[in-house]
Amino acid sequence: MKIRKQKANQEVNTGSMADIAFLLLIFFLVATTLLQEQGLDLHLPQKKENNSTSTQIEKRNLFKVLINSRQEILVEGEYRKNTSGLKDEVKAFVLNNGKKGHLSENPKKATVSLKTNRGTKYATFIEVLDELKGAYYEIYAENIGLTKEEFLNLKQNDPKQYMLYLKSKKDIPMNISIAEPTL
Amino acid sequence: MKTYSKKPTRKAEISTSALPDIIFLLLFFFMVSATIKPNEQLLEYENPNAHNIVRPDKKFLIKELTVGLPKMGNIGQTPRISDGKRYLEIIDIPQWVSMSKATLPENYQDQMIVLLKADMTIDMGLVADIQEKLREADARKIIYRTNTTEE
Repeated sequence: MKIRKQKANQEVNTGSMADIAFLLLIFFLVATTLLQEQGLDLHLPQKKENNSTSTQIEKRNLFKVLINSRQEILVEGEYRKNTSGLKDEVKAFVLNNGKKGHLSENPKKATVSLKTNRGTKYATFIEVLDELKGAYYEIYAENIGLTKEEFLNLKQNDPKQYMLYLKSKKDIPMNISIAEPTL
Repeated sequence: MKTYSKKPTRKAEISTSALPDIIFLLLFFFMVSATIKPNEQLLEYENPNAHNIVRPDKKFLIKELTVGLPKMGNIGQTPRISDGKRYLEIIDIPQWVSMSKATLPENYQDQMIVLLKADMTIDMGLVADIQEKLREADARKIIYRTNTTEE
């Protein structure tokens, strides 16, 4: 009796492996979202304990922007139809360094105040806040000789780029204050 | 004098044995970088546009709050707040903050970032109320979620 074992190479067929993996892939594509975490950042002020801690800011060091419930913008007491030109005004205000009497004494003291009404639309608020932040980012970018886009793309977890980032912000704090809305 | 031998019919197939590896690579990328969708979107919102956006590098610090109009018609048409799972009232926010903080590693708890996804048509009054509560609960880093627009 001859039983000849056939020595066929017994491989598992992996042809359908790709199909299985595709199925899993498609499942994850459908069931998940990528976290979209971009936006305008802001630090809210600390909760005030009592009213006595509020500091008085000199009039010339305060750049006031008001938005009312009809989405009208008032910049330093002047009525505006839209936000065009606001960015350059903020830049001039912050970088004045005491030259002009009605603008800020120095960038450290300069504060930009944004006050809304309870009826102001969120979109208008974001539009104005965007301009204010844009002004500061342009100042920072110019400090280190980059464009604003390059500045915003600096990676803060890279030490070299972080040093650059710190250097750009030196002595120019972003004092954007969001006042509590009026009724 | 025909001496040509018959050309052997060669099989010219592309090897697909590396395909599963490629697909798995893609799969792992998505598994790592994506987050699972919250059970259901309770609110409808459309983010406003902005140019000067930032992207925080510590993504695990981000906790989301949504403000918008309810999708279900039976609970009215006034803007509501949601944390992705349920509706919150203004007074619930400090509790939400402390619960969210508790999920973070202890040394990062004071660095929590609140990502506010608000509809562009809502009034600032509601946003201000939320901010007031966030200040109370000492969660003062806030990001207004916006879409990008090219200048």
